[in-house]
Amino acid sequence: MIRLENVNKYFYKDEPREVHALSDINLIVQEGEFTLFNGPSGCGKTTLLNAIGALDSIDSGKIYLDETDITTLSEQARTELRLTQMGFVFQSYNLVPVLSVEENIGFIMKLRGFSDKEIKQRVLEVSSLLKIDNKLKLLPNELSGGQQQRVAVARAVAAKPKIILADEPTANLDSKNSQILIDMMRELNKKEGMSILFASHDELIMESARRVVELNDGILVDDNRR
Amino acid sequence: MYKLILKMAWKNSFLRPARTLLVITMIAVSMSMMLAIQGLYDGMVKNMIDKNKRSGSGDISLYAQDYRVEKDIKYIIKDALKIKEDIQKLEGVKAVVLRLLADGLLSTARKSSFASIHGIDLNEEEEFGEFSKFLKQGEINLNKRGALIGIELAKTLKVRVGSKIIFSAQDSSGDINSIALRVRGILQTTNVGLDTNSIFVDIKSLHKFLGTSSKDATQIAVMGEDEKLLHVVKSNYSNLDVKSFLELQPMIKQMQEMMVIFNSITFFIVMSVVFIGIFGVVYVSILDRIREFGILLGIGMQYKYIRVQIFLESIIVGLIGYLGGAVLGIVFLVYLRDYGLDLSSFSDALEMWGYEAVITGTIKVSYFTSTFWAIITASVLSVIIPLRKIKKLNPIEVIKAEK
Repeated sequence: MIRLENVNKYFYKDEPREVHALSDINLIVQEGEFTLFNGPSGCGKTTLLNAIGALDSIDSGKIYLDETDITTLSEQARTELRLTQMGFVFQSYNLVPVLSVEENIGFIMKLRGFSDKEIKQRVLEVSSLLKIDNKLKLLPNELSGGQQQRVAVARAVAAKPKIILADEPTANLDSKNSQILIDMMRELNKKEGMSILFASHDELIMESARRVVELNDGILVDDNRR
Repeated sequence: MYKLILKMAWKNSFLRPARTLLVITMIAVSMSMMLAIQGLYDGMVKNMIDKNKRSGSGDISLYAQDYRVEKDIKYIIKDALKIKEDIQKLEGVKAVVLRLLADGLLSTARKSSFASIHGIDLNEEEEFGEFSKFLKQGEINLNKRGALIGIELAKTLKVRVGSKIIFSAQDSSGDINSIALRVRGILQTTNVGLDTNSIFVDIKSLHKFLGTSSKDATQIAVMGEDEKLLHVVKSNYSNLDVKSFLELQPMIKQMQEMMVIFNSITFFIVMSVVFIGIFGVVYVSILDRIREFGILLGIGMQYKYIRVQIFLESIIVGLIGYLGGAVLGIVFLVYLRDYGLDLSSFSDALEMWGYEAVITGTIKVSYFTSTFWAIITASVLSVIIPLRKIKKLNPIEVIKAEK
């Protein structure tokens, strides 16, 4: 479970151009939720996602992952937390260009010390779910954008983290590939039971999400469960 | 994990193959040149030392006390023959010769010059230092008052093979005597002292001329490089003036030290080039991939793994450069050892300083081991600054920049 209490985040604090990016955000995300942070550009959805993902710091408030306050952790502990508890999907895929699809998918598992046998088994399982099991020996630059993003999702979910954080994962994809990706992520959410948090203004994701958290100027304006 | 990191490092090293190959070539060529220069420097000194030992002092020389100062045959080693036989029995001794030296005046019908006459036994000298290899013109023959003359002295007196010369000197009883000799051969030892003022005659004839006992000698030269041997000879013959080669030739010791300095400077310059080359390729490669590193840190890869990866990338480039340099270096060094570098056009200047016109190189394992460690060190040091850049990297900045 993720719990946010009075989270505030400023950019350019105490400068004339100060921006109040997150304003007193209070939110609870239960395990296994398929949640979208929605809102116009600059509303704070990515900032919120980065704060939950222990990538960015906040100025005040608390963010709990289960019972751990992640805002008090050291940089090394945050890195460890990201590795063990979270999976990230970025807009630009960000795969390791010199590693094959198979190695990219197993990368986080390798970092976490899983055995080669476990990694191989899990890579096959996830790649099959995401329909890239016939691309395992290829390099990322030999894949289409949609396929690369599926590899990025596979990498994020392979080590079975508690939360998947996906920032604009469909921004570089056409509508067909976007739909395929969203369907696959829903499928994963159902099968693997991990929480998936999106930051996006993509209509397709909005249609699929079971919970939509609306943000505007850093303020949580609506929280709609379907 | 480290296997995967090694794979990433290897592949990233050749992400821009032209750039990496250029640096590898630069390392290999500069290293091979450095090895060749080291081999030549050492070869020059080694050849000079070798010729000086063979033609002059050997590894150890024994003189009567005060002989080297007075240069008078009254300071002769008595019963040198017995000492020679005793030294021959010592461990580590390769050869021993007796020599009789006297200073005097060497004249032709038109010219005269100061000269040192060396009484030698040709057979023993051949065994001691392949004496015949110093012959430049004529033949090695000391029969019938035959004499061999240093090349520079021959030029001074304008004598040729077959010329008659007169050597005058004070004998053991203090009388001035002269002996007529015929030049049978002209020698070039590259031992400056010998080439400019020495003639060589049969030791028995010289004993007769100087009125000294055939059992005596002014110098006993010993070939045998063992440090222990020097110590034993010094302690056994404390009544004599026993000197090692380098004690007799302090100039050569200085030259050796100078060559070490030259080699060190060359080494430093080449390693600086290697350092800059590796630094350049690693730094640019990191700048190219700064986003990748930020993302890797963002998804939870620990900095220590990235550090290992960067070190490996640098070491891979350094090691391949080293291997290329070592192979090229061996080719150069073997060529220089077998054929030498012909500097005949500078022969006058070189021979004046005791060097040969054709310089042959030496090959030492230490050239390769020291270069190996230097390249590894340069590889490791060259990534420190690029690593600091990654360490300061905030993943969120990279992720934001991406958007």
